[in-house]
Amino acid sequence: MEIIKFEFLKLLKKSRGWLGPILVFILIMVAYPLTVEVSDVELSQSFFSILWIAALLVVMLATEDIFLEDFSDGTLEQYAILQKNLSLIVGSKIFVYWLVIGVPISMLGAIFCVGTTSESAFGYQILPVLLVSTYIFMNVFSFGNALSLTKGSVLGTLVTLPLLLPLLIILGKVVVAINFDLNYSGFLFLLLGILSIIIMIIPMIISYIIRTHLE
Amino acid sequence: MDALVKAQNLSYKINDKKLFQGISFELLKGKALHIQGENGSGKTTLLRMVCGLTKPTKGDLITQTDKEVCFIGHKNAIKQYLNVEDNLVLMNLSNHKDLQKYLSVFDLDKSLDINIANLSFGQQKKIALLRLFLNSSDLLILDEPCVGLDTNSQEILVNFLKKELANGKGIIYSSHIFLDFDSDRLGI
Repeated sequence: MEIIKFEFLKLLKKSRGWLGPILVFILIMVAYPLTVEVSDVELSQSFFSILWIAALLVVMLATEDIFLEDFSDGTLEQYAILQKNLSLIVGSKIFVYWLVIGVPISMLGAIFCVGTTSESAFGYQILPVLLVSTYIFMNVFSFGNALSLTKGSVLGTLVTLPLLLPLLIILGKVVVAINFDLNYSGFLFLLLGILSIIIMIIPMIISYIIRTHLE
Repeated sequence: MDALVKAQNLSYKINDKKLFQGISFELLKGKALHIQGENGSGKTTLLRMVCGLTKPTKGDLITQTDKEVCFIGHKNAIKQYLNVEDNLVLMNLSNHKDLQKYLSVFDLDKSLDINIANLSFGQQKKIALLRLFLNSSDLLILDEPCVGLDTNSQEILVNFLKKELANGKGIIYSSHIFLDFDSDRLGI
């Protein structure tokens, strides 16, 4: 709990770290209907594509320096020397980022969904899918950022981007299911299954990568 | 006497370039070891090895301490966008019984609400050094601890280290600034 408290303190006091991505998300969601000349039906059909891409890009932006700061100022070095559980620290950090950035953009996404699509019920249906998928995005992009920690570029994140393509396909299927009023809980459980594996494995891999960088 | 650190025939290579080789030493409780050498000779790497951060290319290194080592390196591990008080919370020192004493000693007690970015380099170094002053480790590893410190603060540091040695702790350090206390020397 102490680690989560510390990570909250760090992220909340660094307003550009969480406010920037949320504002970018709002900007994309507001700008999209304003910049295309389409009917309401077309708008509602293409809304979900924009929603997933916006969520993907915003999470990518938010996790850009998730470990870089702690690495550069020696905090990770101190954690390693004090023999703290680095996997737990990494997992807590990703969780806090998701709570502060992922949850608000998921809720905003659901609100924009109500405003843009024909069925207001879509908003409630899409919310759990957004919550789970943003957490998966956070984990995968954090892994990418850990890879390119000493390179100072987004290369690692871009390398991990193809890993999310299967997830985007699943998200597309969820939207089809919601549109046709079909039961989409199977997809949601599939996403939860992916998430439960990812939250166990990725922090462990990242902690190993960080230790290698520290060496 | 028990050895806190025992190193035998340590070597380290980076990209086929030998940084140092055949380094052996032993650090006993209540003793200090001053690592000496030119810039780029591998002093920091050797200190990081003792901390367990870097693995030697060859040789054996055994550390026997009851608690984790205390390491003060080039990086201060403090957050520039947070104030002193928040940094002390992150360093897990905010509830330490001796915190107020050392804040007063370093004249930092009235700067608790000031952002680290607005403090001088020397003041930032003093905050990083609180990690050393409020530690409970058996082994202190210091990499250029005096950089940025004024004469008075250097004297406080030396007196503190003398006290720690008397308490049976071990110190390994590198410093280009002379620190006036008994220590063995190791040239690399």
